[in-house]
Amino acid sequence: MSGDCGETGPCAKCEELLQPYVDRELTAEERAEAEGHLAACGYCAKRYRFEESLRMYVKRCCEEPMPTELKERLLSLRTPLA
Amino acid sequence: MSETESSDGRRIAVEARDRVRFEEEALELSDQVYRVARRLVSSREEAEDLVQETYARAFRNWRSFQPGTNLRAWLFRILTNLNIDRGRREQRAPAFEPIEEGDYFLYNRLEEAGGSSDEERIVERLSQDEVVSALAAVPHDFRDVIVLVDIGDFSYTDAAQILDIPVGTVMSRLHRGRRVLKHELAEKALRA
Repeated sequence: MSGDCGETGPCAKCEELLQPYVDRELTAEERAEAEGHLAACGYCAKRYRFEESLRMYVKRCCEEPMPTELKERLLSLRTPLA
Repeated sequence: MSETESSDGRRIAVEARDRVRFEEEALELSDQVYRVARRLVSSREEAEDLVQETYARAFRNWRSFQPGTNLRAWLFRILTNLNIDRGRREQRAPAFEPIEEGDYFLYNRLEEAGGSSDEERIVERLSQDEVVSALAAVPHDFRDVIVLVDIGDFSYTDAAQILDIPVGTVMSRLHRGRRVLKHELAEKALRA
């Protein structure tokens, strides 16, 4: 996982670390390894940033406020105060 | 009033207070519960039913929640169990052809298609409808994990507990599911 992947295509390790990196699930050691590579490889750095943007964008697209009527129905499920 | 009566009275008062607190805390999470439910099932009506049943069950079984543990994960466990029990997912995920494209596939395709190559803006070429329908096209087992991690913001460990599967399975479903999602997004975005 060294050098720029633009010429050779990403190595298996870059792809393996991509998901847990974006999900912040790497160990400190793995994260340092990924960041070391990203600092040296513009090809992967772009794609990692894209992956983070995509993740946030998917979340934003799925925002849908809860219908007020449902909120009221949930409130009505509460145990009445004695 | 006898001593027993007064201690019963205290116990009942404490229980009532705990129950009120539990219900309030659970209701504060309802927007998040709805957001996730909305992506686990296909229609708004189903999502509303699912959320309502989740809260009805949570309020009924509130004593089985251990204060101090993760209430959000506890509620989502009820939600995903109900979703499975109700047979909304009775069709198993089809035997899925492995996706050949790597993880960088979508970016590479969007970049090839031209326009801005700013990796933080390039996603905006996908419309909200395309994203929502691409996610809906991901098979259930994979989608459940994507929805919990990406929309519910759960860690791999929490998602594993909620779905009662090993962490390694969360990771592999997430990985495969996201490849499917990206494949669907590429199809939609580049068809236009």
